[in-house]
Amino acid sequence: MATQAHSLSYAGCNFLRQRLVLSTLSGRPVKIRKIRAREDNPGLRDFEASFIRLLDKITNGSRIEINQTGTTLYYQPGLLYGGSVEHDCSVLRGIGYYLESLLCLAPFVKHPLKIVLRGVTNDQVDPSVDVLKATALPLLKQFGIDGESFELKIVRRGMPPGGGGEVVFSCPVRKVLKPIQLTDPGKIKRIRGMAYSVRVSPQMANRIVDSARSILNKFIPDIYIYTDHMKGVNSGKSPGFGLSLVAETTSGTFLSAELASNPQGQGAAVLPEDLGRNCARLLLEEIYRGGCVDSTNQSLALLLMTLGQQDVSKVLLGPLSPYTIEFLRHLKSFFQIMFKIETKPCGEELKGGDKVLMTCVGIGFSNLSKTLK
Amino acid sequence: MEAKDQKKHRKKNSGPKAAKKKKRHLQDLQLGDEEDARKRNPKAFAVQSAVRMARSFHRTQDLKTKKHHIPVVDRTPLEPPPIVVVVMGPPKVGKSTLIQCLIRNFTRQKLTEIRGPVTIVSGKKRRLTIIECGCDINMMIDLAKVADLVLMLIDASFGFEMETFEFLNICQVHGFPKIMGVLTHLDSFKHNKQLKKTKKRLKHRFWTEVYPGAKLFYLSGMVHGEYQNQEIHNLGRFITVMKFRPLTWQTSHPYILADRMEDLTNPEDIRTNIKCDRKVSLYGYLRGAHLKNKSQIHMPGVGDFAVSDISFLPDPCALPEQQKKRCLNEKEKLVYAPLSGVGGVLYDKDAVYVDLGGSHGFQDEVGPTHELVQSLISTHSTIDAKMASSRVTLFSDSKPLGSEDIDNQGLMMPKEEKQMDLNTGRMRRKAIFGDEDESGDSDDEEEDEMSEDDGLENGSSDEEAEEEENAEMTDQYMAVKGIKRRKLELEEDSEMDLPAFADSDDDLERSSAEEGEAEEADESSEEEDCTAGEKGISGSKAAGEGSKAGLSPANCQSDRVNLEKSLLMKKAALPTFDSGHCTAEEVFASEDESEESSSLSAEEEDSENEEAIRKKLSKPSQVSSGQKLGPQNFIDETSDIENLLKEEEDYKEENNDSKETSGALKWKEDLSRKAAEAFLRQQQAAPNLRKLIYGTVTEDNEEEDDDTREELGGLFRVNQPDRECKHKADSLDCSRFLVEAPHDWDLEEVMNSIRDCFVTGKWEEDKDAAKVLAEDEELYGDFEDLETGDVHKGKSGPNTQNEDIEKEVKEEIDPDEEESAKKKHLDKKRKLKEMFDAEYDEGESTYFDDLKGEMQKQAQLNRAEFEDQDDEARVQYEGFRPGMYVRVEIENVPCEFVQNFDPHYPIILGGLGNSEGNVGYVQMRLKKHRWYKKILKSRDPIIFSVGWRRFQTIPLYYIEDHNGRQRLLKYTPQHMHCGAAFWGPITPQGTGFLAIQSVSGIMLKITQLIQSKFPFAFNLPTSFSGMFNSALEVAKFEGAVIRTVSGIRGQIKKALRAPEGAFRASFEDKLLMSDIVFMRTWYPVSIPAFYNPVTSLLKPVGEKDTWSGMRTTGQLRLAHGVRLKANKDSLYKVLVAQSLTLSPKL
Repeated sequence: MATQAHSLSYAGCNFLRQRLVLSTLSGRPVKIRKIRAREDNPGLRDFEASFIRLLDKITNGSRIEINQTGTTLYYQPGLLYGGSVEHDCSVLRGIGYYLESLLCLAPFVKHPLKIVLRGVTNDQVDPSVDVLKATALPLLKQFGIDGESFELKIVRRGMPPGGGGEVVFSCPVRKVLKPIQLTDPGKIKRIRGMAYSVRVSPQMANRIVDSARSILNKFIPDIYIYTDHMKGVNSGKSPGFGLSLVAETTSGTFLSAELASNPQGQGAAVLPEDLGRNCARLLLEEIYRGGCVDSTNQSLALLLMTLGQQDVSKVLLGPLSPYTIEFLRHLKSFFQIMFKIETKPCGEELKGGDKVLMTCVGIGFSNLSKTLK
Repeated sequence: MEAKDQKKHRKKNSGPKAAKKKKRHLQDLQLGDEEDARKRNPKAFAVQSAVRMARSFHRTQDLKTKKHHIPVVDRTPLEPPPIVVVVMGPPKVGKSTLIQCLIRNFTRQKLTEIRGPVTIVSGKKRRLTIIECGCDINMMIDLAKVADLVLMLIDASFGFEMETFEFLNICQVHGFPKIMGVLTHLDSFKHNKQLKKTKKRLKHRFWTEVYPGAKLFYLSGMVHGEYQNQEIHNLGRFITVMKFRPLTWQTSHPYILADRMEDLTNPEDIRTNIKCDRKVSLYGYLRGAHLKNKSQIHMPGVGDFAVSDISFLPDPCALPEQQKKRCLNEKEKLVYAPLSGVGGVLYDKDAVYVDLGGSHGFQDEVGPTHELVQSLISTHSTIDAKMASSRVTLFSDSKPLGSEDIDNQGLMMPKEEKQMDLNTGRMRRKAIFGDEDESGDSDDEEEDEMSEDDGLENGSSDEEAEEEENAEMTDQYMAVKGIKRRKLELEEDSEMDLPAFADSDDDLERSSAEEGEAEEADESSEEEDCTAGEKGISGSKAAGEGSKAGLSPANCQSDRVNLEKSLLMKKAALPTFDSGHCTAEEVFASEDESEESSSLSAEEEDSENEEAIRKKLSKPSQVSSGQKLGPQNFIDETSDIENLLKEEEDYKEENNDSKETSGALKWKEDLSRKAAEAFLRQQQAAPNLRKLIYGTVTEDNEEEDDDTREELGGLFRVNQPDRECKHKADSLDCSRFLVEAPHDWDLEEVMNSIRDCFVTGKWEEDKDAAKVLAEDEELYGDFEDLETGDVHKGKSGPNTQNEDIEKEVKEEIDPDEEESAKKKHLDKKRKLKEMFDAEYDEGESTYFDDLKGEMQKQAQLNRAEFEDQDDEARVQYEGFRPGMYVRVEIENVPCEFVQNFDPHYPIILGGLGNSEGNVGYVQMRLKKHRWYKKILKSRDPIIFSVGWRRFQTIPLYYIEDHNGRQRLLKYTPQHMHCGAAFWGPITPQGTGFLAIQSVSGIMLKITQLIQSKFPFAFNLPTSFSGMFNSALEVAKFEGAVIRTVSGIRGQIKKALRAPEGAFRASFEDKLLMSDIVFMRTWYPVSIPAFYNPVTSLLKPVGEKDTWSGMRTTGQLRLAHGVRLKANKDSLYKVLVAQSLTLSPKL
């Protein structure tokens, strides 16, 4: 029977998000076993449970079965529904953890997604909302996902461990995606950034800016780092500060780097000067890696290429991150798609490390949930 | 008589000649040209009305834009699949005759019995797959979905029949293929006038159905039971040159019209259980879109399956190679119809099928079964023998252990037996690769032969030499002979193993290695660290070195001989190496040999080897074998060998040589080598990365590691510490790519490494701002300011003049300079033209043009991207492309499909997109067909044909109210669209569908498909009196709308204290006491989850059109004679008019 589509089976909790997202998009059920089976505290964590709840909210007809210890998860995807949703994310992970998956799913829902996410906007683990706003959104625009309603707004900032941040993400619906040919990364024409501080002295942000500029000024003069000091209810529940930097090139690609202070009560205090300098170095590191898509969004770009029409898409990437490599394997098992991978050596030019040119033919994905009126 | 026959000359009234004459005549009359009418009489052509002019302009523009279609990317393959021609018509209309005639026309062959599709080459660039469509509605539906062209046969003596219209209506919803009408039985008309009239009538009726001007062919009569040659020829011409419009469904889904089916099920399984699920392979041309391995497909009439394996085969009916000639020669006029028994020898992945003529019936399934039996009979070796020859690898990079290794550890096994086993290489392979057992013995032999042939081709000289050598050395030591024989075996083994590895190994890897072959040819032996070919070489090197260790220093010559030997061995392994397979076995084999050789007494071996090799060497160089060779001679000989070997070996040999002689890594100092290595690293990086990503798949391997766990006391298990991969499986799920080894960004050179990433860095030649500016300066430097009248020059006057003069002088001297100047001038001109074009043409290019250009660019890119790659690699990336002849393996097919196989019925494999295999709630908009007499009832099961599928389901009909609420309808409206919702397969939006009551019924309704998932509701009338039971109930309905039968609207306000359930309401008008008040409440209706695919192909032969599914309640009642219990109140009673009794007037 048609309902018993061949399901896929995996072990371990790593890459849970990609598995569930790809399962939702491909319509193939997935079974994940041995989730932290050998650990003292086995089973799904709060943040994973919260992610599954979020998936349940934006889909219709999904079947989720978790065993008693939480070590086995069976997920049979329903149709992506979307609409107006509110979700309280777990404070164990940043909002970026949830938002990354939503970016993959939002263009293919039935009703345009407008979601309010509450939790930690900036932390040290996940890509922060600032970075996603600056890099992932322009990337989606390349695929033809654009419009007035396409925005990501940071209403409140929340730092770990307390959280209390809030972002609003809205995305229009597309039936098909455009193929992309991003092979020329261009040259970096400007660097922008956001130094934020909540529940600490507003001077912190300025100190970050100065130290970051001191490093970046050696490369390019066009640098502007905004300072964002949120007060009152908008400042969340915990103190903290951080910096996110974005380099924009002439051909419209965005490379990013970010750093945040240690959460309150964990680790040693970080000097804002150090943080600024380190973050600037991270940006240089990212520029050294290069490519048309920055390292956090590699998998997003590859996914959207896969979901394109049956046309050739190309993208030039920096070195593939372990997350991306696993994602490519998952793409193969869910969509039977293989990328042509060509290594482009750096050569004579002083343009950082080796690049990888990824080429694929889209699978001809079309949004089956979108209504025709 | 003659005078009478001659026709009188008629003057031309039209045409160029007449026009010329007329013109001359007018000129003679001094009236001037006709063309000059505008000039002659300008008033007549003046604008009379601006409005009218605007309108006419508007109209022309409208007509122009109407012709526009949304541009789509052209994805048609370079070598398209054959065009599917469906010959359709009512019974006895001449379908089979027409097909026979067409085949005869194109191929000069006569097929007596036609079963299933027939593929023929009809022209230089076109092939046709002709298939007959009977009158079974299932067949009509299926074929309408795959047809490119429909030849609709109409019996003119009878007129149109219902089948024709049914088929037309089916075509309408499933994308309209090209339809060509063919009128037959025209010879039955006695009177010419009647014939003409009939033709005209039929033609016009046909036009209303298809489109005005649709081609209708007339086949006037039969000659010897066949249609007239000329007419068939014309029809063939029409088909050959016909152009097709892409249909949405067909271009977005891959599909195969299978022309061959083989049952691959294990006969033993069938023997034990005749009803077991079968494994079948289906063959056919892939059409539509790319098909990927392991994707989901639907077989109409059978069900959903997952492709378990797919491979492409050589085209059995290929287009001619060169296109120089105008027409095909006889050899190229191919016909391929395996179901009808035409096609000759068929090559398959694991078998060769030879057509044995008419007796080769399909149903008896002689081919595979017979082969399997053959293979069973010819299995000589016992399981012990297989065990002995099987090998196991304990560690990934260790050599595999054979049974002989275990022998050495104490297990008893006769040595002779082992030798014998090693002689039979085929057996060994069978054991190692269990999946090869299935393939028949005969083709094994075939393979062996082929590989031997290959071997002969690759290293013929080598083998010759060795053969001769063997002949000479018959009286020499047995041990040496053993070695030689082993060597020969080795050659065979490694080659024979090749196909097995092709199965087990990553195909892609091989192809990538093949790509790199050209480069390998002139690269060093160090090039491939990862491939086993390299391992083989290193192994042989090791062998050489190993034997060296056991040598006396004086025997340095024989040392070299050893080296030569190892080189020869390498050569033996060459075919494998070329194809880039990781033949670990090969490594093992060579090592094995070295072991064996070292086990011999060193001196003996050396001397023997020396002699043997010397003989070998002497052969090409024509030096007698007994001659004693000095070192100088030896080098000569080496070079001779080199001549024999390929170029790549050259390099390796030299390497080894130098390594042997010098001992040091002198060659590494070679700069060119270093450069080559660097180049190779680049070349290797990509496959490595690919291998890194796709080579190892981290699937769930729990079972395996459960087995490896030790058991303690049979009850407890040792909990081994987590392995690294397990640890990885539970690690943090984060997309950020952390920097492991950060650079020190304070260092100048590190900073410089990214200098050019910034706009402040160095630009490429063509983009450098300074250069571009300079060029522009050159071009646009001179300009005249029109307002002021100043003339600006790029450079100051005198200077330029001077320069000009200088230039002239220079030009005289230097012809090169002249040329460059010319080029510059041309460049300048071109740039100016571009500028001009940009300025003036930009207005012309519309959005439509841009879009079209974009699509064209994309299409070009799609074509070019994978063009240079071979098919093996290509199918990995883009899937199997349309036009390929593929073989699809499917498992778990119901046995009835094989048992009741009827080649007359089309077998279609329709590819499904993502989540098109899932079932859910589907909504559609439909309308009852105008020819269906009844209306449709909700909850009556009905058969839908949507996408590839035909299935029975229970729809609920609804109509959408103004507020978006979907109100259930008990019956469909008569002449209006309504919605339907049912439980069925998810299908892309906008797909056409049709529904039939039963497979032998008539079509009902047709339209677009829309999807959503919403609850439904219908109305429930309730009366006013006693509407509620309690005040609480009333409170829940406060504010609800109520109305009277006459349409007076009101609202529930508030509950009253007494009586219980009474409420106060307000109305827009005054009510009468007799008014009944309704409140409409809504109740969600659930849709029955009933989805039953029509499995018509599983029915026995001859009964395939008798499939019946769930019956409607009406049919059940009729069958069982159960009458509906009527509500007494609903019965019509005879109304007896009461006589009016008027009250008496007072």
